[in-house]
Amino acid sequence: MTSNVSFLEFFIGRLPEVLNQTVRHLSITGTAVFIAIMIGVPLGILITRNRQVAKVILSVANVMQTIPSLAFFGLMIPFLGIGRPLAIFVLFLYALLPIIKNTYTGIQGVDDSLTEAGRGMGMTNAQLLTMVELPLALPVMMAGIRIAAVINIGTATIAALIGAQGLGSFIFRGISMGSNNLILTGAVPAAVLALTVDFILGRVEIWLTPKGMRK
Amino acid sequence: MIEFRKLTKSYDHKVNVVDQLDMVINDGELVVLIGESGCGKTTTMKMINRLIEPTSGEILVNGENVLAMNPIELRRNIGYVIQKVGLMPHMTVADNIELVAYLKKWDKKKRRQRSSELLDMVGLDPALYLDRYPHELSGGQQQRIGVARALAVNPDIILMDEPFSAVDPITREQLQEELIRLQDEVKKTIVFVTHDMDEALKLGDKIAVMKDGKIIQFDTPENILKNPINEFVEYFVGKDRLWKSPEMLFAQDIMHKRPTGVLADRTPAYALELMREKETEFLVVVDAPSDRPRHMLGVITPRELKGKGTVEKNKMRDLMRTNHPTVTERTNMVDVLSLMKTHHVRNIPVLGEEDGYFKGLITYGSIVNIITDAITEIESDEGKEVSHDQ
Repeated sequence: MTSNVSFLEFFIGRLPEVLNQTVRHLSITGTAVFIAIMIGVPLGILITRNRQVAKVILSVANVMQTIPSLAFFGLMIPFLGIGRPLAIFVLFLYALLPIIKNTYTGIQGVDDSLTEAGRGMGMTNAQLLTMVELPLALPVMMAGIRIAAVINIGTATIAALIGAQGLGSFIFRGISMGSNNLILTGAVPAAVLALTVDFILGRVEIWLTPKGMRK
Repeated sequence: MIEFRKLTKSYDHKVNVVDQLDMVINDGELVVLIGESGCGKTTTMKMINRLIEPTSGEILVNGENVLAMNPIELRRNIGYVIQKVGLMPHMTVADNIELVAYLKKWDKKKRRQRSSELLDMVGLDPALYLDRYPHELSGGQQQRIGVARALAVNPDIILMDEPFSAVDPITREQLQEELIRLQDEVKKTIVFVTHDMDEALKLGDKIAVMKDGKIIQFDTPENILKNPINEFVEYFVGKDRLWKSPEMLFAQDIMHKRPTGVLADRTPAYALELMREKETEFLVVVDAPSDRPRHMLGVITPRELKGKGTVEKNKMRDLMRTNHPTVTERTNMVDVLSLMKTHHVRNIPVLGEEDGYFKGLITYGSIVNIITDAITEIESDEGKEVSHDQ
């Protein structure tokens, strides 16, 4: 009990710093996810037009996902140095797979009869994409973005190790100083942040689901 | 008018899915392409709006080569109805119907007016349905919207790819009836693909039976039924089919083609002798001998001749009954039978539809004959099938 109370006091005492790091944390992951959307969505659309290319791109992205994040950060230091850009780059690569994959499967999942009807009525490829495929794939694509964001918020704590700051810096300091309070000061906000983002994006997902398809 | 000239499609340059097809589909005709799966019927249809590109040959629409047109423009001017309906689930009924009009940049007011009009036409209340989503509709209602969508910009040609095969039999029947009614109203050139012969016979102005990418027979439903060109068509139609659709059987198919007539100036004694000789109690009084076209003047039965046998000055023209019912060559069997029943007659003369000449005679005997033929034919077929199994 006493440790809880003392954590709360400890936490409140560092609130300004916590908020500061939360903002950094969000800005790193937000930037990474944003770039991943900008590149992953077009790529996901592009590969629906060619099955062979799709196979290659998806397996490359899959392999990237299997590299331990800690190792990934280390391996990239010679190229990008330490700090924010490196963190954003690695997080971006992690976010890429769920976004490409869900864009691809979302569009592939559109019923053939709808694309056939669309084409038969004289839609151009661009119209088919914007009027039929994208609106129908949007909920699935959004789910991919949501997964990417939540994974990234967790992984971004490790980025503190390579000097990118964020909520992870409390955790690593806590570990080296043997202070559970300090570790919790980083871990609890990171968890709350992940849950909050997940909840908000879940709402966006529902909101983006076309009206005729909401159950 | 749609014309195919040596139309061919091959995916591997070995087998022709559609093989050197020549065909002419006239304006306002509903032509059914029918055959087993893989016969090339759907491929043929999809080449018309270039969803599939021909390997060689030509398709002309109103004399213009389709292959030289912009495929997007072409498709917007050809209605298209598919088996799985393919309504956009994220669009309202109105937006679905107006889709092609939207692509053709009609203004919103005109689009909405048209979609309301079309909903009315397919029997759905616009006030109730315009703003609904497809998933709120039954399968039959969805395909009605599918048909309305195809009619939206009033195209001359409509392609229908097994449009009613995914709905239950009762709904299918309703949709078929509605299509017939609709077609009477709009008179489109419709290419209709199906594998269901009942549907083909019901809807088609003409039917093209296809096999291995070729048209085996292209003819009216009536001729496909009565004069199948070979065993395949006969098998495909089913021999007993004619008996399931007696409205396809006409007076000219049932009648005796060399009926006995008696000239108007013959005597009762002559008539009696003729009846005895021909073993009949029914003579048609005519104005010319049997080697020439002749008109029917009336009929003579023993009732009219009773007690007149010796009175030589009585001729047929004085004795005959002139109020006997007649039918034309094109009256169908159902109507013939009901006429026989309501008038309590066993014989009905058949007159030419255009020229009015006396063409033949339907008797109880001729009807029994035709039924007997059919029954023995079906039975002998079934016998054959059994022997195949062994």
